[in-house]
Amino acid sequence: MAKLLETFPCVPSTERGRGILIAGDPKSDTILYCNGRSVFIRSLRQPQDVQVYGEHGYAVTVARYSPNGEWIASADVSGTVRVWGTHNGFVLKNEFRVLAGRIDDLQWSFDGLRIVASGDGKGKSLVRSFAWDSGNTMGDFDGHSRRVLSCAFKPTRPFRIATCGEDFLVNFYDGPPFKFHSSHREHSNFVNCIRYSPDGTKFITVSSDKKGMIYDGKTGDKIGELASEDGHKGSIYAVSWSPDSKRVLTVSADKSAKVWEVAEDGTVGSVIKTLTFMESGGAEDMLVGCLWQNDHLITVSLGGTMSLFSADDMDKPPLLLSGHIKNVTSLAVLGANQKTILSCSYDGLIVKWLQGVGYSCKLQMKDTKIKRLAATESSIFLSGFDNKVLRIPLTDNEFGAAEHVDIGHQPLDISIAVDSPESTSLVSFDSGVVLLNGLNILSKIDLGFAVAASVISPDGKEAIVGGQDGKLHIYSVSGDNSLKEEAVLEKHRGALTVIRYSPDLTMFASGDANREAVVWDRETKQVKLNNMLFHTARINCLAWSPNNRMVATGSIDTCVIVYEVDKPASSRITVRNAHLGGVNAVGFIDDCTVASSGEDASVRLWHIEPQ
Amino acid sequence: MANAASGMAVHDDCKLRFLELKAKRTHRFIVYKIEEKQKQVIVEKVGEPILTFEDFAASLPADECRYAIYDFDFVTAENCQKSKIFFIAWCPDVAKVRSKMIYASSKDRFKRELDGIQVELQATDPTEMDLDVLKSRVN
Repeated sequence: MAKLLETFPCVPSTERGRGILIAGDPKSDTILYCNGRSVFIRSLRQPQDVQVYGEHGYAVTVARYSPNGEWIASADVSGTVRVWGTHNGFVLKNEFRVLAGRIDDLQWSFDGLRIVASGDGKGKSLVRSFAWDSGNTMGDFDGHSRRVLSCAFKPTRPFRIATCGEDFLVNFYDGPPFKFHSSHREHSNFVNCIRYSPDGTKFITVSSDKKGMIYDGKTGDKIGELASEDGHKGSIYAVSWSPDSKRVLTVSADKSAKVWEVAEDGTVGSVIKTLTFMESGGAEDMLVGCLWQNDHLITVSLGGTMSLFSADDMDKPPLLLSGHIKNVTSLAVLGANQKTILSCSYDGLIVKWLQGVGYSCKLQMKDTKIKRLAATESSIFLSGFDNKVLRIPLTDNEFGAAEHVDIGHQPLDISIAVDSPESTSLVSFDSGVVLLNGLNILSKIDLGFAVAASVISPDGKEAIVGGQDGKLHIYSVSGDNSLKEEAVLEKHRGALTVIRYSPDLTMFASGDANREAVVWDRETKQVKLNNMLFHTARINCLAWSPNNRMVATGSIDTCVIVYEVDKPASSRITVRNAHLGGVNAVGFIDDCTVASSGEDASVRLWHIEPQ
Repeated sequence: MANAASGMAVHDDCKLRFLELKAKRTHRFIVYKIEEKQKQVIVEKVGEPILTFEDFAASLPADECRYAIYDFDFVTAENCQKSKIFFIAWCPDVAKVRSKMIYASSKDRFKRELDGIQVELQATDPTEMDLDVLKSRVN
């Protein structure tokens, strides 16, 4: 049977020019954020502890805990709000179609009975407030002409709702039933975020015009603003109050987060501390989201790094949590003692994870789209979308500078002969293969058939190339770097997608686009295990266990299946729903642990118990 | 070729073996083959009660169609021993199209001859007649 050991989750998906909203539960000290179609619940005390909710049919934009911590309301780009339970397997309480377009912000009233949601209504209602269990609307929200970026519910009685949006307006509604009360046009650019202080006396709006305004909580009149000296030099994307209502945290496109002290009467806010975020120095350091929860200050950068600062000791260096934002296309497992897992996503991000610890370090390649990754202990080879093969040397904890070679064709598959003296590698492209020594092209061979997948044996003497027609061609590599065809094996009924040698080189396994995998004996070229047909869609990846007894396959049907070579294919272990959207890569960490990664931008480790 | 649906005769042996399985439980499975030259369905193989599902699966050729009757024993949720008689139309993807056509058109008439089939299953590859599939069909 298979059990989930660890998850290396993705980080919130971010968009340049817009802030993101993350929420949390002070009681259980967890934070909520969204990526793709999933909502991630992450514990701040144990950052490895992650739970995923993947029931939305569209990309999720915001999720919030109810005040009693029992329910979570999450909203997506189709205008649907789902209310589901925090415990008990995320059972769905209700689902409402609230707006006609994307929902940007959502808030519960303090008694947990009402929810207000705001966003883009395509001309019709842009804000709606409804009862959490029945969905009955409470009030009309006129007054906005463009997308409403944020909304806030006054946390104390009498109820008030404040909204702000792209039309530069800050609107104030009283009720219930909610109706328009007043409007303010103090800002000169998009108003990005609006938040009430926990004691309900004031609310703050922050805007892309680099200013923050403070308003009275009950009447909605402007009472003050955040000081402009030492203020932000870029758009302010988000704001969060401290639990004692005395301080606020703001984050901005100028790559810094500032903590302000707000005076009792709310007339002025002055900067206490500035926290700058410097990682790569580029646009990815822009801070787009923040949250102040209990003792933690959390800021999220455009590149997806979450920094956890301590509110009491703001000078202490923060804990950095990072991960992938886009789907993980390829995975490699290294390391004899402590296992390292390298994962790469097509946006050029390579992340190094340590088993048992989590995120270790990352490398963001600029302007490169990566398709495949192959690694040895000392270097990583990447194949990208722009005819280049890149090599990055790996030292203990760092990535070196990348060098590349242009091979003239778009690379399909890359494989390294790890035992050959000069680290020969084989790269396949649509009509042939290229043999490389390090980054020098040894030979480019046109094979005359449409190539789909390829692999080179660890000693560099044999190569197997699979075609689009399902035939496996076995070649021997001779001293002058040419290939001589030894045999052609026909069994697959679809284009080959992956071929791998077993660690002891007695067998190799191949998987195809028609959901079938086959294990062959290398010497005799006979089929050793067939009927590995239990996937329901194309097989994307395949891996051997170090003891040569098990083969794991991952497919777009979201399952990872582990077969034992000595037993018939029907006695298999299936991991269902390993990754929402499909599994892109698998690797064995040891004889009973498999790492898998997929379309949900996460890497998961599973414990496999052979029956 | 004559109309295969009405032209295929059923050999008496087929019916006798099936009745033995149903009443006296003397077989675990029966594999039937369509013999084109005699235009008949005949019994190809009969399995003893001690044989298992794996033996049954192994007796079906990987690239030719067959009909099969399998007596499946299982334990229900309330812990009682039960058994159901499965009719399996084995038509692998890799078989010849002509063979698949003949078996498909004669299936209905053949099934009507065998009275007492509880579950019918069509399998186009080994994964579709896996033990898990049989277990899910008995509910």
